[in-house]
Amino acid sequence: MSQSELHNNEMIHRYLNDLRRYLARLTPHESQEVIREIESHLFDVLDQQADAGQPADVEKILQGFGEPRQLAALYVAHIEEGAPPPRGFRAIQSVKKSVTTSLYFAMAVFGFSMALSLLFVAGAKFLLPEAVGVWSAANGNSIVVGFVAAPPAGMPEVLGWWIVPVATLLALGVTLLTRRVLRVLKQHM
Amino acid sequence: MNSTEDLMEKWAVQLRKGTLELAILAALQQRTLYGLELLKLLQSLPSTTITEGTLYPLLDRLKRDELVDAQWVQEGETRPRKYYQLTPLGNKKLTDLTRLWRQSVSDIEWLLANPGPQPLPNTGV
Repeated sequence: MSQSELHNNEMIHRYLNDLRRYLARLTPHESQEVIREIESHLFDVLDQQADAGQPADVEKILQGFGEPRQLAALYVAHIEEGAPPPRGFRAIQSVKKSVTTSLYFAMAVFGFSMALSLLFVAGAKFLLPEAVGVWSAANGNSIVVGFVAAPPAGMPEVLGWWIVPVATLLALGVTLLTRRVLRVLKQHM
Repeated sequence: MNSTEDLMEKWAVQLRKGTLELAILAALQQRTLYGLELLKLLQSLPSTTITEGTLYPLLDRLKRDELVDAQWVQEGETRPRKYYQLTPLGNKKLTDLTRLWRQSVSDIEWLLANPGPQPLPNTGV
């Protein structure tokens, strides 16, 4: 190998090493693929120049590729833009999606069971008027709501039969609210 | 004079940028080429001359978009080369872009062929 060939090889290796450094955001396989292709190109051109009896002009060929940093930026741009994600990222997206799905169902179960319990309380008032109600204790600082085995001693009942329309309206309100929230969640699924 | 040349150059650059993808897809039509061959083919034509630094990242993008695919081939004693060809999706895109390109050329040709001051028959302008 002649002196100038050594010099050319050294320039090419330095260029490719710089390029490899700037391609660090690609996977090692992707980066290697880029390096290998450009290396193949460079030595191909050198061979062709030699075959044609022309002096090798590595500098000029490298100029066509541009600065390693700028060239690498073009290969890495799709990662920074967050444009089409590489294949591996799809798994992460589907995990995120299933979180939203479970949140959706949790919200549905929570909201509708709350509404059902309120309706149940309203209905139960007809069957067991003594055991269903809202009792106030400590001058309204604390209350007992719902279905009890025996009315709490010493606490005045607050709503009486009003518990039926109040619980029904609350059930309706909770149902509407739940449906609203679910609609919003669905848009983000 | 200089600024006119500047404007021409800018326009040529814009035109080349806009048509580069079509040029590459067309160059790979029913043909398998490696990077250097493709570069030489494009550089042999006056309006599609591009540099190595433009071609290779663009090929990488076309491959990611699944318009082309590539494989390494080693023939005899030569060093391995990465050969590109169109995928079915690439062929479809080439067909679509070709239609658009021909429409654009014929529209502009029509405008150039129909100067004033005679009123135009079909548009009333």
